[in-house]
Amino acid sequence: MRVERRIIVNADRDTVWKVLGSPDCYPSLLPHLERWETITEGPPRVGSRYAVLWKIGSIPVGGIAEVVEFEKARDLAWINITGVTQRGRFRLRDAGPGRTIVTFRLAYHSDGGLLGLIADRIAARQVGRSLSESLKNLQRLVES
Amino acid sequence: MTGVADILEWARQQVIARVPKADLDQRDPDYIRDQLPGLWMLASLYFRADVRGLHRIPAEGPVLLVGNHSGGNVPADTFVFTLAFCSYFGVERPFYQLAHNLVAIYPLLRGLRKFGTVAASRDNARLALESGAAVLVYPGGDYEVYRPSWQRHVVELGGRKGFVRLARETAVPIVPVASVGGQETALFLGREQWLARLLMLDKVLRLKSVPISVALPWGLNITDWLGHIPLPAKIVIEVQEPIEVDHDDQAVYDKVVASLQTGVDRLAAERRFPVIG
Repeated sequence: MRVERRIIVNADRDTVWKVLGSPDCYPSLLPHLERWETITEGPPRVGSRYAVLWKIGSIPVGGIAEVVEFEKARDLAWINITGVTQRGRFRLRDAGPGRTIVTFRLAYHSDGGLLGLIADRIAARQVGRSLSESLKNLQRLVES
Repeated sequence: MTGVADILEWARQQVIARVPKADLDQRDPDYIRDQLPGLWMLASLYFRADVRGLHRIPAEGPVLLVGNHSGGNVPADTFVFTLAFCSYFGVERPFYQLAHNLVAIYPLLRGLRKFGTVAASRDNARLALESGAAVLVYPGGDYEVYRPSWQRHVVELGGRKGFVRLARETAVPIVPVASVGGQETALFLGREQWLARLLMLDKVLRLKSVPISVALPWGLNITDWLGHIPLPAKIVIEVQEPIEVDHDDQAVYDKVVASLQTGVDRLAAERRFPVIG
């Protein structure tokens, strides 16, 4: 299941990256976050790991995420190495002078065959709402 | 009378012989992963469950999770908590649940062993804790789980302090887990302990109660041995602060009961209607 949301913010890519490139900002960015913990030491880079759990439905869902792409002011992508199989990405592109289009993608897959497929589809609406809220929070942070 | 006593003892030994010794290797993380989506849907859509405070459970190492038990033989709160624990900490973290002997030997419930369910005994619990696992125990057991529905917000561990001694001997913290809603999945009318004594089930099967309830699909349901279809009661679970075992058994027991009762009272105060929540 892949869910994607976009937003255009009135800030350049470097300003947006100051928030997205600092995982310490994520608790104020991501809604319904139940757990956010930095596992690896040092500044964020490819290989950094974080324990991330969102409340989806009745319980926290997530696992340990590892950063797999970290290109300044361009792309930040991660995969989950435990919990629900997941790939996520923040994609920053120019949208005119002083404006940036930010794309937030989440592709996930639950085990369990047919039940997993149904659960993924049911969760998609809430996941979509969470992505939209995250982008609105990002907009608020970078435009303020 | 000697003949009756012999028969009872023989029957008891037959049951005991069938209780599997805990084999911790029967827990299967991949099987649990496969079951999580179905359980997630059941918990989220049917029971509208809400699980809070999981961050209070120590992030690693052995821990004894002590809960109040509800729901008769279909304890919705147990599987909701198991789902939440496995999802929060990952199926990789070893987690075992202690269940009544009859649950452990019931053929249709073999899948529970893959979830980490083992027969409730001190040896099994010690084995799991000493392996570094988290263990969920319901000291109130079959006494508490069949309490009348109008006492649904009363924590009744029945004075059973074995869990305190276990935590002391294995040097693990106790984390109380309070839940509400489970006793609204059917209308439980009473435990009928006198009937259990009359039928000598307490001696043969370690059953202290012969519960009577009104439940789907049976209507009047006596014993609940075949389970029931639970009503879609809203289940709310809240993990409480850990308790160190640094006082005598009675003091720690009282602390755990007080913590559970406070948690249950807080969650019960949020409920406006039975079942609906």
